[in-house]
Amino acid sequence: MKRWALVAAVLSALGVAALPRPGHAQGKDTLVVALVAHAPTLDPHMHFERVGILVNVNMFDSLLHRNTKLEFEPSLATSWKAVSDTQWEFKIRKGVRFHNGDVMTAEDVKYSFDRVLDPKKKSPQYGNIRAIKDVRVVDPETVVITTDKPFPLLLERLTFFCIVPKKHVESVGDQAFGTTAAVGTGPWKFVEWKRDQLIRLEAFDQHWRGKPPFRQLIFRAIPEVATQVAEIKTGGVDIIRNVSADLVPELKTNPQTYVSSTPILRVHSVELDMRVAPFDKKAVRQAANYAIDKQTVVQKLMASLGRPVATTVQPQAFGYDPEVKAYPYDPKKAKELLTQAGYASGVDVTLHSAAVEFRPVFEAICQMLTEVGIRATPKMWDPGPAWNKFFQGEGKAANGIYFTWGNYSVFDADAVLHPLYHTETGGWIGKWYTRVDGLDRPIDEARSTLDQGKRKRIYSQIQQTIREEAPSIFLWTQYDTLALSKRVEYAARPDEWLWLFDAKPKR
Amino acid sequence: MLTLVARRVIRLGVVLAGVSLVTFAILHVSGDPVALMMPEAPEADRASLRQSMGFNDPLAVQFARFVTNLARGDFGQSFFHREPALPLVLERMPVTLLLTVLAMGLSLTVAIPIGILSAIRRNSLLDHAATFVVFLGTSMPVFWTGIMLILLFAVRLRLLPVSGWETTAALVLPAVTLASASMPLLLRIVRSSMLEVINLDYVRTARAKGVSEWLVICHHALVNAALPLVTVAGLQFGLLLGGAVITETVFAVPGVGRLIVGAIRQLDFPIVQAGVFLLALIVVLVNFAVDMLYIYLNPQIRVR
Repeated sequence: MKRWALVAAVLSALGVAALPRPGHAQGKDTLVVALVAHAPTLDPHMHFERVGILVNVNMFDSLLHRNTKLEFEPSLATSWKAVSDTQWEFKIRKGVRFHNGDVMTAEDVKYSFDRVLDPKKKSPQYGNIRAIKDVRVVDPETVVITTDKPFPLLLERLTFFCIVPKKHVESVGDQAFGTTAAVGTGPWKFVEWKRDQLIRLEAFDQHWRGKPPFRQLIFRAIPEVATQVAEIKTGGVDIIRNVSADLVPELKTNPQTYVSSTPILRVHSVELDMRVAPFDKKAVRQAANYAIDKQTVVQKLMASLGRPVATTVQPQAFGYDPEVKAYPYDPKKAKELLTQAGYASGVDVTLHSAAVEFRPVFEAICQMLTEVGIRATPKMWDPGPAWNKFFQGEGKAANGIYFTWGNYSVFDADAVLHPLYHTETGGWIGKWYTRVDGLDRPIDEARSTLDQGKRKRIYSQIQQTIREEAPSIFLWTQYDTLALSKRVEYAARPDEWLWLFDAKPKR
Repeated sequence: MLTLVARRVIRLGVVLAGVSLVTFAILHVSGDPVALMMPEAPEADRASLRQSMGFNDPLAVQFARFVTNLARGDFGQSFFHREPALPLVLERMPVTLLLTVLAMGLSLTVAIPIGILSAIRRNSLLDHAATFVVFLGTSMPVFWTGIMLILLFAVRLRLLPVSGWETTAALVLPAVTLASASMPLLLRIVRSSMLEVINLDYVRTARAKGVSEWLVICHHALVNAALPLVTVAGLQFGLLLGGAVITETVFAVPGVGRLIVGAIRQLDFPIVQAGVFLLALIVVLVNFAVDMLYIYLNPQIRVR
């Protein structure tokens, strides 16, 4: 008797298991995106995580929007102008509704800024907008933002600065707003969040741009790349991000998927430790730059998903000077410079990296350096606590580190020059490694004027200086590569956003 | 017998104290969480956060505070989630436990009958096949097994979902993967301990009395062979919880393991401490239960 019960139980368990899977990528009007993780909160002001921004932008609107050509477009602000060097006036779009039905007004805009600027709230985005001194509501459709000094990056910062509903946030509280009661004005509204599983959104019918093409939007959290790839091949998800070079051919030829890639604002370099030999000598640093065959690495090891650059300032950023040319591949010249510097018989160095997905590239670089006489030993680190400790502990006796910089998706030279080369406390690399004297003043100067012509001239000068001083081995910009299901039409964006209002079902 | 139980209870307390000391210590030498929390902030802001979070106090003071709070079930606020750590861990615990129990059940379901059969039919084809599977299972790392199973059953055959936790079918692959880690050892234990008892006098006596072979194996032999199995299964339970960390990552299962791995990357002390402490608590309790079961199963211990 008991035995039969057991058999029945096993059979029914198998029966359940064998049921047709309700699946993830279901109906035509559902779009499923795989992310490696979820941000800790849905509150667009209380994190600064890429995976969170990607979700937030589809639920919330900012004052400005950036289109695929990287131009500013009106979003919740219909127009804007600089009233003075430190004052900007924004006209707020009329009749925009939050997902809960409330009308969005200038008060909500002011509240959103005050919320991030309030030190008690400890918003991780505080640093982005701390130049803002005051936000004033002139009338229900006009807001004036005052900065403490001229702040040319303001508009850039406002493309991801979500406007939240004051009344709603105050009544439900910050905690609930970030977990169960997120309300914005964006194309999709919040339905449910199963942590580490999925965030489910549904089209907001009263969205001011109109209805988005997909009714349901799901962000699944899938940490393992191999699993993401298996999911997209079987239709479990429709979009996966950061597809690495070795996976591109496979996903290009798969009948269910295609690949879309575009240059992004992430630049690669090897930051050299200018405090100690041998990279204290300019000639050695230049030799290192001549030693790298950038074109070959990009073609052979990165599936051509990269573009060599002259410095860390990238072609897409404001202030880029195309006249500053990249170091050519010239091993002879590299050896000459090395001899000049007194290292005729070569020199030993150790380079460090935690960029796991670029390991082959890093090893190739070390090999190329070794060939000209800079005998480089590659040392790979696991990204995480140990690397952070090494990296932030002033990197004692490290000759150099493989480094990538994402500019916080800000398309302006300042977003790479200030954090990397300014010696102000908090500047990471500039403080310890790549110390080019005399850059603080021009960086500050360019930062505090709204005269774009003048800024361009200063940045051009800085690029010439850093190319000459060669504080790093300048490498290439990275591409972002998405793999997409053929039933979805969408293209990768230079700012790495997933602005899914642009995604359409393919017929 | 009471003293025996009391001794076990004391050991339980010592182990837990050790676990909390170790988790506390390891994390505090592995980096600066404030730098991770505010990567772009000026040093002054970081210093004040460090001060307000108590990172400037002597380690002994921080540990004393940790233990006092622990006694109240307060592991502090997660730095990353900005919520109390304990509920975040508890919320995910059922998933991890279900996965582990399923895997344990699955490995026992396979290991016991196959182990018995290969002991009775020693050197038969089945016995050799089982030995081969044992070798295979012990030598394959869990994450690899997982990915291979995905490729076969989800991508090639399209029988099961690749990952997730939304449907019952989604439980199958992670449970099988995890079971594959513990099943081989259990099978080997069942086989060898069955071999040990199967030729003993009392088994022969039972047979001679005309007891059916089925009853001899299941009642006389298995109950005695079960002692080492129970011990090993208890230890394996801890191993499975550890393996769940990897399995959860491969199959995107929303469990404690994945939470802890993420928290380690972010140096989120409270989450790691709460997670490791609770998992350790479960392992210790399971082993405690095994000890009790052992005392119950083995009259020799009970009497002494």
